[in-house]
Amino acid sequence: MMKQTVEFDKIQQQMQKGVITLNGFLGDDKRKLVDILESDNLTVKNLRRTHEAIADRMEYFRKSGTEGLGEFITVDENFEVKVETVRGMLPSPFGGKGMYGKANTTVRNKKLDKSVVFTDLHIHFIGDHGFYEGKGSPFRLEPEELITVLEVPVVEE
Amino acid sequence: MIVTLLISIGIISLISVFLAILLVIADATIGNYGVVKISINDGSKELEVQGGQPLLKALNQEGVFIPSACGGRGSCGMCKVRVVGGGGDYLPTELPWISDEEKEKNVRLSCQFKVKQDVAIVIPEELFLVKEFKTTVESIRDLTHDIKEVRLRLKEPAEISAKAGQYIQFEVPEYELTDERVYRAYSMASSPDDKNHVELEIRLVPNGICTTYVHQHLKEGDEIIINGPYGDFFLRETDKHIIFIAGGSGMAPIKSMLLDMEKKGITRKASYFFGARSKRDLFLLDEMRALEEKMPNFSFIPALSEPQEEDNWDGEVGLITDVVRRMVSEGANSEAYLCGSPGMIDACIKVLDEVGVLPENIFYDKFS
Repeated sequence: MMKQTVEFDKIQQQMQKGVITLNGFLGDDKRKLVDILESDNLTVKNLRRTHEAIADRMEYFRKSGTEGLGEFITVDENFEVKVETVRGMLPSPFGGKGMYGKANTTVRNKKLDKSVVFTDLHIHFIGDHGFYEGKGSPFRLEPEELITVLEVPVVEE
Repeated sequence: MIVTLLISIGIISLISVFLAILLVIADATIGNYGVVKISINDGSKELEVQGGQPLLKALNQEGVFIPSACGGRGSCGMCKVRVVGGGGDYLPTELPWISDEEKEKNVRLSCQFKVKQDVAIVIPEELFLVKEFKTTVESIRDLTHDIKEVRLRLKEPAEISAKAGQYIQFEVPEYELTDERVYRAYSMASSPDDKNHVELEIRLVPNGICTTYVHQHLKEGDEIIINGPYGDFFLRETDKHIIFIAGGSGMAPIKSMLLDMEKKGITRKASYFFGARSKRDLFLLDEMRALEEKMPNFSFIPALSEPQEEDNWDGEVGLITDVVRRMVSEGANSEAYLCGSPGMIDACIKVLDEVGVLPENIFYDKFS
């Protein structure tokens, strides 16, 4: 069982409304950051995936979609992808020197008729920290939905 | 035992009250910087403001508007100002946005830099022309499934003086996605000749605070505050051929430039390459064809990257970069004006270089 460290307290503070973004990254989730991470980690593990595999798949669509120059483009026959950039860059609440562009990647799975939208910051959150944002956050990504829509392959033990 | 407990509680309460009083005194003295002066452009304008607040906010309250797209959160990097006197050390929140060259010129991020003493700043003269306008939404129409045209009638002041290609900032009031007012930048699509109106083309961005407001809440008759004009994306006065490239809501400044050319009788050869995925993403075709009729040297070239069967499309097919590569032949004698996402702009610059357009003749409004 992970413990909420002082460092995590600081990160959770950075995730509050109005610090980095207007709405923050936690929504109305009152749990400690460590519990949010633990809960999503369990979900992903039970689905026999890893955060890295999910982030890799997101990155794949982000890169493929860029070729559409801001319009939807067909990727691998079953997907339509659009990468839209809006003005600005954001730092990560987890720290580090990087800034992340405000690019929205929309992936539509044509077979399932379902879409997900994620940002560059999400790819970093998930790949580097296993963070999908708190419940009630407008930008929260549900791991199960991501796995389904992006068709993230099972990771063999 | 009880007496000891009561005494302890009393002592703790007294200490708490003492600390609270100390905090109030500290807030009123240490944190109170009093009235400070902001001298702008060698004293051509002097302001007196309450100290301790961000420079961006202090200027804004005095009617001096610095462009900012993130509402002062330090995430857009747009609100740069030279602080030539009274500046201190850079804050960590400023550094990602400031280059070494800018550091030498004392460029600061005005939303992060707090005015704690008298300061002297330098801003572009044209920012003195920026005003705040009260407007009424005169009309809203769907241009495509995800782009709306919003036409604003200016009330106070009733006229705006802008160049074709410039942008304004749109104030989003508090609503379900934001509990404070925020600003977002949009290019004007209207002709600068129509000084009483501002037209915007706004594409819905998933979860976007402003775009969601415009697409789901804004109604005709609503009152909206804007400020502007801003930007140096406007037509240069040369006799070079003009290549316009923009898709989606990037059409706004290009349309404004074309309307301006038509009004002023500018007869330079001009081609507008408009990229979309399929026919449902094209818009204002009739307006563009009408401009072709009025301007014999202008041609509008829409191209679809993935036309659908039902589109029955017999126009250009491919990414807009491919179409430009195929069709532009006199690059060396051309100027290019681009509007779109960084990826689109970068791809276009590469192609324009291939066809011989000189870097100094490429102008763009990057959405970043």
